[in-house]
Amino acid sequence: MRAAAKMIAVLFLALALASLLNARSLRKMAEIQTPGTQRDVSVWFSSQLVSVSGFLRLDRPRQELKDAIGRSGDDVVDTRVALPPPPAFPGPAEHPSPHKTKARPKPRPKPAREAYTPLHPLRVWVAGDSLAEVPGTSLERLTGSNEPVDVVQTESRLATGLTRPDVFNWFTRLPAAVKQLRPRVAVLSFGADDAHDYIRGLPAGHIVGAIGSASWGAEYRRRVVGVTRELNDAGVYVVWLGIPISSSPARNARFRFIDRILSGVAKADPRGATYIDAYSLFARGGQYNAYLRGANGQLVLMRAADGVHYTTTAGDLVARTVLARLGEVFELEK
Amino acid sequence: MLFPTVTFAIFFMIVLPTSWALMRRQRAWQAFILVASYVFYAWWDWRFIFLLAASTVGNHAAAVAIHRSRSARARKLLLSTDIAFNLGLLAYFKYAGFLVSSVENGLSRLGLPSSSWVLTVTLPIGISFFTFMAMSYVVDIYRRELEPADFPRFAVYLSFFPHLVAGPIVRGSELLPQLERPRDAREIDTSRAFFLILSGLFFKVVIANQLATHIVDDVFAAPNRHSSLEVLTAVYGYAVQILADFMGYTNIAIGVALLLGFRFPQNFNSPYSATSLQDFWRRWHMTLSRWLRDYLYIGLGGNRKGKARTYVNLALTMLLGGLWHGAAWTFVVWGGLHGGGLAVERLARDVLGRRWAPRETAARRWIGRIVVFHFVCLGWIFFRASSLGAAGSVITRLFTAWGEPSPLVTTGVVLPIVVGIAANYVPARALPATFSRFGRLPAVAQAACLAVGLMLVDTLGPQGVAPFIYFRF
Repeated sequence: MRAAAKMIAVLFLALALASLLNARSLRKMAEIQTPGTQRDVSVWFSSQLVSVSGFLRLDRPRQELKDAIGRSGDDVVDTRVALPPPPAFPGPAEHPSPHKTKARPKPRPKPAREAYTPLHPLRVWVAGDSLAEVPGTSLERLTGSNEPVDVVQTESRLATGLTRPDVFNWFTRLPAAVKQLRPRVAVLSFGADDAHDYIRGLPAGHIVGAIGSASWGAEYRRRVVGVTRELNDAGVYVVWLGIPISSSPARNARFRFIDRILSGVAKADPRGATYIDAYSLFARGGQYNAYLRGANGQLVLMRAADGVHYTTTAGDLVARTVLARLGEVFELEK
Repeated sequence: MLFPTVTFAIFFMIVLPTSWALMRRQRAWQAFILVASYVFYAWWDWRFIFLLAASTVGNHAAAVAIHRSRSARARKLLLSTDIAFNLGLLAYFKYAGFLVSSVENGLSRLGLPSSSWVLTVTLPIGISFFTFMAMSYVVDIYRRELEPADFPRFAVYLSFFPHLVAGPIVRGSELLPQLERPRDAREIDTSRAFFLILSGLFFKVVIANQLATHIVDDVFAAPNRHSSLEVLTAVYGYAVQILADFMGYTNIAIGVALLLGFRFPQNFNSPYSATSLQDFWRRWHMTLSRWLRDYLYIGLGGNRKGKARTYVNLALTMLLGGLWHGAAWTFVVWGGLHGGGLAVERLARDVLGRRWAPRETAARRWIGRIVVFHFVCLGWIFFRASSLGAAGSVITRLFTAWGEPSPLVTTGVVLPIVVGIAANYVPARALPATFSRFGRLPAVAQAACLAVGLMLVDTLGPQGVAPFIYFRF
């Protein structure tokens, strides 16, 4: 038993030392958990580790290495939700009217569509959660090298969204990416990882209820509107990709709630945004099925084994739908 | 729960000391480790513990019935029923959608009526692994190579958490004798265990993820947007990624089992140093390839029914081996390539005789290694691609875009590829000496080395947990 005790002691000591060396990483992992006792205990414990690690300067090797490989910010928990202030007279997106009005819209002259060619292509940036990846790479493949659309980058970050800036802060990333990549269109996929009660980065003193409640919806709408406006102000047209139907009915109810917010925001300002109804695109008779009939009438596997993510064929379908929509908004000359 | 997570570390820190504390009381230990293994499995999806339990009960009952039966006919019938039960499970969970959609598409192409109903079934993690383990156990009982274990021991054998979700595929004859008596901690090579776990973490978390996110995923998703050099690098990158990912995971499994006192069989032995395709399959996923050899190839007749039949059996075995990996035509093509390659190799050996294997020289060995590595990489293109068409695009692009800019080919990509391939050439004799030196260090020094290793893995690895390729099997 002495041999076993020694082995266990070495392992415990190694893990304890590794915890001190990686204290900041552990604290971030603790912070980004969903609220509850587990998170509270983890945050308290990891904070003590960070204090001890800092005192003993055991956090330096990790930080130096992170700096050397250009990932200094990995352990930072940034919950700032920086959005442009709402306009003085809020439009229908911020405060959707509960009553249907039948006011006759003022006729406006249709602006000429911007034209793009293979020599001067439409720059598109695809970004968002893990559901952005497959449609994004499909868009890259379908637009190739001699098309009037150029996908400048697909940036897909697992388990991220607009409710958890502590996991990854898209509110900081979006304007930085626009400055760096100069897209004319941003195809955004958010919502699947936002379909829960917990929202971080709320204004001080602000409390929201569970997902599905008016307060949750209002806060999420505020963020979606803010992101849309920020990108529009930077000259970027926004394509909101809706969340597709999934294999879980409970999840679908939440997904539909978020999809209604996204579509409402896009409908309120069609000059700045549009919405792709991925939910209906992948529902068959209103139900989920991993297999759907492709263009040639053959059954094709569209969804991954987890009942949420896309296969490449599904990504192509989303990408073609996006391209068709862009073709309605812009003049795309081949 | 995944191995490279804080959750598993906490789980293991509870299980390891408790396991050793209970080791001398075998019944209590068996009960504890069984509960721990089911907790481990239930972490994914609690519903599937019933599947695991059903597989355990069903296969144990079949094994006992076969062992007790005196009638050869009855034994064969029981064996067939058990194999049908296990394959039925696999067919339902893994292949139902693929089979039904393939049949319906076939009917549709022939202009015959077909329905639009296709089964959508959630795939239980690890089903391919524990089903194959169960089948090998029952077949060994049937062949009278093994005596049935009592139910608690068999239950532990099948559900033991280190191998449960991604192998290695351990035989009853390898693990059951170890479960008969308490393990002796003095017999454990802890240095080797720590090395396996740490190196496994490094390969899986750092090497595999770096290649996936910096070149492989991008190139395979849209090969027509990349230069031939990028495509070639991505193909080499995937060869290293899949080895690092899978070998890394099974090394952690073997290391964890070793700390608990159990020896698992080796699963990888420098596969990219293979000098022939047959040699490759003696080094890659060794527990699967020996399973295919002993339970499929030999079951089909092996090399006992003439040369032509031998080639067919080789090809068929590898074809089915491809299908084991998943319900897609790309896996079938991958298996078919290897099966065809093995058959051609055997044919060449039979036809050329001594001229096939003249005196081996260093030059011949290196030529063999380069040829085999590139043949294996060709197979990996199909294994990785999302469809046959996508694989075709990758292969075409290998030849049609030389000279174009290659921004993805960076030091951060080339270095892991070089490290991954070079790891196949580390002399086996170098490691025991290193283990021995490590084992003589004071406990504090050993802990410090391990801690620094864990720090490096966490610092260089991705944020969050990187996915694992073989989990989908």
